[in-house]
Amino acid sequence: MRGTHSETQEGDALSVCVEGQAPILLQVTALTKRYGDQIALADIALTVRAGEILGLIGPNGAGKTTLLEVLAGVLPADAADLCWRGAPLPPARRRDVLFYLPDGLRPYHEQPVARVLAFFAGVYRRSPAHMADVVAAVGLAPVLAKRVHALSKGYSRRLMLAVGLLTPQPLLLMDEPFDGFDLRQTREIMGVLRRCAAAGRTLVLAIHQLLDAERVCDRFVLLADGRVRGAGTLDELRTRTQFPAGSLEEVFLALT
Amino acid sequence: MHSPETSVVRHAPLWPLLVKELWEILSGRALWTMLLLLCPLIGSSFVQAVSLYSEASAAALQSPVLARGLSPLDGVLVPALGAWYVGTTLLFPFVAIRVLSQEKESGALRLLVQLPYRASTLLTAKLVAVLAAWVLASLPAVSALGIWGLLGGHVSPPETLTLLVGHLCYGLLVGAIALFAAALADSAATAAIITLAFTIGSWVLDFTVAGRPGVLAWVAGLSLTQTLRPFEQGLLELRLVVGITAAIGGFAALAAVWLPPGVTVRTKLSRSLGCLLVTGVLLALATQISLARDVTEDQRNSFPPADQWALAQLTQPLVVTVHLAPEDPRYADLQREVLAKLARALPHVTIRLASGRHTLTSSAGDEAYGEVAYAYGAHVATSRSTSPREILPLLYDLAQVPVPTAIAADAYPGYPCVANAQAALLWFCGGLPLCIGLTWWWTRRPPHIDRSVCMQEVNHADW
Repeated sequence: MRGTHSETQEGDALSVCVEGQAPILLQVTALTKRYGDQIALADIALTVRAGEILGLIGPNGAGKTTLLEVLAGVLPADAADLCWRGAPLPPARRRDVLFYLPDGLRPYHEQPVARVLAFFAGVYRRSPAHMADVVAAVGLAPVLAKRVHALSKGYSRRLMLAVGLLTPQPLLLMDEPFDGFDLRQTREIMGVLRRCAAAGRTLVLAIHQLLDAERVCDRFVLLADGRVRGAGTLDELRTRTQFPAGSLEEVFLALT
Repeated sequence: MHSPETSVVRHAPLWPLLVKELWEILSGRALWTMLLLLCPLIGSSFVQAVSLYSEASAAALQSPVLARGLSPLDGVLVPALGAWYVGTTLLFPFVAIRVLSQEKESGALRLLVQLPYRASTLLTAKLVAVLAAWVLASLPAVSALGIWGLLGGHVSPPETLTLLVGHLCYGLLVGAIALFAAALADSAATAAIITLAFTIGSWVLDFTVAGRPGVLAWVAGLSLTQTLRPFEQGLLELRLVVGITAAIGGFAALAAVWLPPGVTVRTKLSRSLGCLLVTGVLLALATQISLARDVTEDQRNSFPPADQWALAQLTQPLVVTVHLAPEDPRYADLQREVLAKLARALPHVTIRLASGRHTLTSSAGDEAYGEVAYAYGAHVATSRSTSPREILPLLYDLAQVPVPTAIAADAYPGYPCVANAQAALLWFCGGLPLCIGLTWWWTRRPPHIDRSVCMQEVNHADW
């Protein structure tokens, strides 16, 4: 997927399916969210293409988590038009096609890890073999008998990732998936996510570490102060900012 | 690793959700702490009730007349289970609140609402978990019933089952209120305050406005403790069961409305209004159900069988106008001995309390005060009696039907029992808490992990 997109403006690409590009899975337009008088997200528009890893990039407070929660339907929006493969996607139907993994969550902390995984595997009718694969992929085997509250930050992240891998929805939204991992672990988890995307799943990752985002994402949506400041592949963003060899960090600083 | 098959998800099996909810409630300390507290509470109530009952029985063993006044329902079961009622009122809300607030506070609710279940299904599973907690909480009370039987005490199955149904209704109602409060509030502490406002507020209503006339009488009727009383008296009233079920459903529906975080408050309010309307209609319909069954062995809630049969034949409406203040003890006697029984025995009875202008202090000079007027068809008769022996003949006279001949039936013998239940304290303060502690430990054991899950190699080729 990396570097295959040619859109320069999200709005331009919404109604166009360019030959050779993956089809648009999710199309978001006019998404606005307010907390009282404060505007958290203003007129957000973006597209998510099948099989890509899309990075939502922005500093703390940019609105990344709010955007993911609104997309997932766990936070009401003041206004939002979402289309899934061209058909309207109301909040009640979001969970049919996408799953959102919140940041810093330790679900069911009195339960052993194995029981939490068995719950999600049971809900989605995943086979024991599939569950074993997921456990092996994210490296959870040593802590299966441990209670969730006793897990380290890294293992609780792995647990959440395992939950995400057990879900079958075509689109997986993850908030700060690498937070709590060291460099080696981050690269390991990136590999897991890459294989997940290569197998046909689409990922949207909210990341504030630009280096991590640059390594793993195919395309980027740059957020600052609740607004989209730019979108596209790194090459497209470089062209737009006239930094031909610029890093994502330099591009981001130029656009925000 | 297997390929992560993607698909649109709309349905999911129910059992993983139920299993998860049951493990969640078993894993919390609240349930086990409540159980450990209930053991000595119910045990001491039981031992004291048996002691008092034995003292009364010692005298009654020589006197059949005294023995007839001894009912284990009143003497042992209701007092022993009274401690359970206190536990349900004060402790059970914390257990029920945990079922939902734990997920809210940890953020797991955001995962839960994304699963392919309706909010109503999620709430039903949580209500099942609350029911399971109530069943576990009933163990000390049920063991008290068993010990009473072992001591030679009489246990009437219909009376006992009715009493247990009453406690079940009360427990589930408190549980449903707790779930609603947990869905509404951001924290468990706030949810506890809301729930205790209902349960302890009911006690306040009982103490302050019970027996008052007019609107206050209606307000007093909202007390949750009113739901248990008829069951404790051995009355199985269908209207009460249906009404409590409607209230439980109403609170659960409200909890389902307020559960999803992705819905605006305005939408939640409009849906809540719909829930309240439907529940209100169901409650109003429930009040129209007159079917009731007196399950007591001594038929204390009914007239003698011949009178019951004769009264059931009176097809015209009977209007009773009572000139008594509600707080007057004579009114309580009349209500218990005559009016409540008439309402169950006759097909059409209207009882009017001419109490708008009556209070105990203001009625001193009112000559009509104390009179009860009975109007049947075109005939009216008045009486100041509160005894059915005087009032029933008066009614037969009004209806111009003969006084029925008494049907020969076995008189209630009463069940005196002299027993010493002190040894039961060993069970309630030692054996049962030990069993509960062991079960708690068992639930905390690490689960068995299938070695194949640990040893699996990642199959990268499939990714």
